[in-house]
Amino acid sequence: MGDNNAVTMAPPAAVARRRRERQLRLGWQVAALVALVAGMYALNAAAGKLVMPSPNDVVLASIKMWGDGSMLTGLGQTLAVLVLGFVISAVTGIVGGVLLGGFRRLGEILDPFVNAINATPGAAFIPLIIVWFGLYTEAKVVLVWNAAFFPILINTTAGVASTNRDLVEMARAFGASRVKLFWQVMLPDAIPSILSGLRIGAAVSTVGTVIAELTMAQSGLGGLLATAGNRFQMDKYFAVVIVLMILGTLITIALRFAERRLARWRVALNEER
Amino acid sequence: MVDVAAAPLIALDRVGKSFKDGQVRALDDVSFSVGPGEFVSLVGPSGCGKTTLLRLMNGLLTPDSGRVTVDGKPPQPGPDLAMVFQSARLMPWRSVAGNIEFALALRGYNRRESRDRAMALLGSVGLRDFAEAFPHELSGGMQQRVGLARALAVEPRVLLMDEPFAALDAMTREVLRNELLQMWSRRRMAIVFVTHDVDEAVLLSQRIVLLKPRPGRIDEIIPVDLPEPRWQHDPRGNKEFAAIRGHIWERIRGMQKDGAPLEELAGAFPRGPVENG
Repeated sequence: MGDNNAVTMAPPAAVARRRRERQLRLGWQVAALVALVAGMYALNAAAGKLVMPSPNDVVLASIKMWGDGSMLTGLGQTLAVLVLGFVISAVTGIVGGVLLGGFRRLGEILDPFVNAINATPGAAFIPLIIVWFGLYTEAKVVLVWNAAFFPILINTTAGVASTNRDLVEMARAFGASRVKLFWQVMLPDAIPSILSGLRIGAAVSTVGTVIAELTMAQSGLGGLLATAGNRFQMDKYFAVVIVLMILGTLITIALRFAERRLARWRVALNEER
Repeated sequence: MVDVAAAPLIALDRVGKSFKDGQVRALDDVSFSVGPGEFVSLVGPSGCGKTTLLRLMNGLLTPDSGRVTVDGKPPQPGPDLAMVFQSARLMPWRSVAGNIEFALALRGYNRRESRDRAMALLGSVGLRDFAEAFPHELSGGMQQRVGLARALAVEPRVLLMDEPFAALDAMTREVLRNELLQMWSRRRMAIVFVTHDVDEAVLLSQRIVLLKPRPGRIDEIIPVDLPEPRWQHDPRGNKEFAAIRGHIWERIRGMQKDGAPLEELAGAFPRGPVENG
């Protein structure tokens, strides 16, 4: 067999070049970070701490807030809303998407409604959610759900509706029942779309959580932001922003990791193209 | 016409099939049969309903008129009939062995048995070392071998092949043809092989069903009497081979004369309701 060499390896020269490129990129990234911090110092010196706190003060405020537990409490409250809202959106979005994608007629009927609600800015529903659910955790979870549900629903629907017909025909020819066809062919085929829906949904959930905490009963990291902002304590404010930044980044990394694990065949296919 | 063994495995009796609510007549009055262990090729220009015939035989389609029977019963998709497609149609999220195990699980093998069988089958197509690889890591020829191994794994009585080698390069095609002939001589399942390659049909099969298009009908059924086993005696240098080949081409040119040019025929029919592209 002459074609056994299809599993190719990159030549060592290419590996070395790639490593050099990576190091160079990292160097520029560190430089950009240094420039950013230097800019903060400069702005602080020029315009005062009301406009931009000194990075030193931000660090001190961080230490203080982590020390007295306020940051941890806030983070806990935020995570509770975020995780609850995201999990509910994920479950409802995936189930709904499977139904809309699997039953084409249903999907076609509901399509304009899904699009209309999805196109409406999420913030437009805040007053309604407050009237219906109040100001506390339930209302916040509903707000997060409202934000994250649609990207997950729409991606899942698309993934299930665009199943590879060749594979479906193959499975049917080998005698697969409808149930097996769904679980073993259509659903795995849709997993990459579902995962990218989840990734978008998670990012949107973070945004929704903070908006809920700012606009409803103040709580969590969003509440800390509001409090600090209202009192012009910009060092505290930036300390919270940094935590949110790290939180968002970690969530994205976790989902990318899940995507690579569960759909590594798709990742590999994309890299080949 | 050639006599078929007393009890044909597959029998088509005046089969007709239309698509698009009867606007497109894909097949008209097609009758032939395939005996147990027989290797039959379906040959004809594009649009003469070759793939439709295969789908009728595996039960994915039902005829509008006439009857299709396998073993005396209307065919049902299942592991008695296995299918090999033009592209390998492997599930990209399963390993090579996993793809074969999928078919075996449908046949009712438990996990351990199907693992052993999958490995044995991969050995027989020379891919044992690639059991844990994913399909995208294999070349087209290797993928097609996996598709063949998957079909053979379920020990079908009938192997339906839809232009299985058409997308491969000439050398790989040659190797796989030989492997197919060897497998067939060992297992002796019936094979129905769709191709538009006249040489391939003569090279491989015992009988050729030549179809003509618009609507798909039988033009002629041609017996191929060449020395066996053919992977040892390549018949392409024989006079008989040239004669059969020449005869088939003459018939195809005849179709061109009394019908439309081949290029026009090529786009005349949809390839069926469940074909992508």
